[in-house]
Amino acid sequence: MDVMKLANSIPMWIACAIPVAVVVFQSVFFGLKAHRAKDKLGISDQQEKAAIKSAAITAIGPSIVILASMLSLLVTVGGPIGWMRLSLIGAVMYESTAAGIGTSSVGVTLGVDPMTAQAFTQGVWTMVVGSLVWVLFGTFSADKMAKVQDKVTKGNRNLMITIAGAAVIGVFAAMTANNFIQLAKTAEGANLTLNKYSLSAVLGGVLMWASTLLGRKFNWDWMKDWSLTISILGAVVLCALV
Amino acid sequence: MSKLNQNQAGASANVDTDFYHGTYMSQMNRIGKITGYGGAALSFMPLIYLWISQGLSPDWPAFATAMLTCVSTFLVVQIVEPISYFPVLGPVGTYIAFLSGNISNMRVPCATVAQKAAGVEAGTPQGSLIATLGMAVSVIFNVTVLTIGAILGVGILSALPPEVRVSLNYLLPALFGALLVQSSMKDPKQGLVMTGFALAFYSVLKLGWLDFIPGARNWMGILLTVFISIMLGIKRHKQTA
Repeated sequence: MDVMKLANSIPMWIACAIPVAVVVFQSVFFGLKAHRAKDKLGISDQQEKAAIKSAAITAIGPSIVILASMLSLLVTVGGPIGWMRLSLIGAVMYESTAAGIGTSSVGVTLGVDPMTAQAFTQGVWTMVVGSLVWVLFGTFSADKMAKVQDKVTKGNRNLMITIAGAAVIGVFAAMTANNFIQLAKTAEGANLTLNKYSLSAVLGGVLMWASTLLGRKFNWDWMKDWSLTISILGAVVLCALV
Repeated sequence: MSKLNQNQAGASANVDTDFYHGTYMSQMNRIGKITGYGGAALSFMPLIYLWISQGLSPDWPAFATAMLTCVSTFLVVQIVEPISYFPVLGPVGTYIAFLSGNISNMRVPCATVAQKAAGVEAGTPQGSLIATLGMAVSVIFNVTVLTIGAILGVGILSALPPEVRVSLNYLLPALFGALLVQSSMKDPKQGLVMTGFALAFYSVLKLGWLDFIPGARNWMGILLTVFISIMLGIKRHKQTA
């Protein structure tokens, strides 16, 4: 049997739909519980509505990024696995690397050599098992870290706000630097270099800065929600034109 | 500063913290654990199907070498991330983010934008609740987009001109550049210092100067940058307080 036919078969879709259903159920459940608890925390209907609207519009840009990487997984490991892996655990940066590690363990280079049944099995096993610590450790530690945080900050509200804000800046500084600094392979080894990936990171930042300032200047409230999508798509279009 | 204090007073006046820390959190913790562990177990469904009905099981020795590579590349990052993102996501957000994945590039942006839109601060119970709502919306949005994409399938990809397909690679760097500026606009000094640090540190990492530490390239960047940023934030907080 052709392995890609198996990879795209109805039973595979069903097997992959079950864990995806758990992800959707969890979000719907937590979302509804948060909605019902909001009055007790003094959050108004308008605040809730603004949060939901902004989150949905902000999700457009990242969703395009995730969709693009799912499309490349569709070609290599089939629809159901690509769809499941990007709906659950893992991340854009992880999945194709893990799939490649798995298939190459039986001598198949992902996206280059024709897929065999054994390489497909290796790839999927590696993607699933290799990502387990994320969800297991995250799930295990969530309530414990809340206690640690309370102890460290001793309920100091402003200190908690400071820590959270600094952590966000740290995360995105690291991610941007990782994409900005590129390596060029040379005969002697590798040198640091800048290329279109670096340019795209800079353009994304510049467009975010410009659109936020414009939005403030002209009091465009919609800009707060749309600036991320505008920045991402604008940077990619500019990169393609250069 | 005075505005912040007013908010604080206003917030504590009508907030039922006993409910939040008691009934709400204990129920959320219970469901979080069931769905987290359950989802992890159910992610084996396609593997079980391949094995039982198609007789396809891994080549175990080869799988062991693959896992060794995977562990040395990703294990530390998988432990570092839940700790690093916790101050932003809160406990309930942590359950959602680590079951659904795509944390830095999707869940964190949606959580922070939702908090900004609602005018609540990350790190507070209100911020945690709004982050939960924002992330729940992003999960449903993401799964919907992916489901449509998977049904339309490779047709979309082949319909795109090659130039556009190449440009899709530039989406991720643009996303992070934009998010860095967005999060730094509240505190440009912190943003500038941390961007400088991250650029220098990633140069060192990518040149391989720290390769004597196993897997350093994959986990050290994010861990150290977040840690230093928090330390710097606390130091500056103490100076102004």
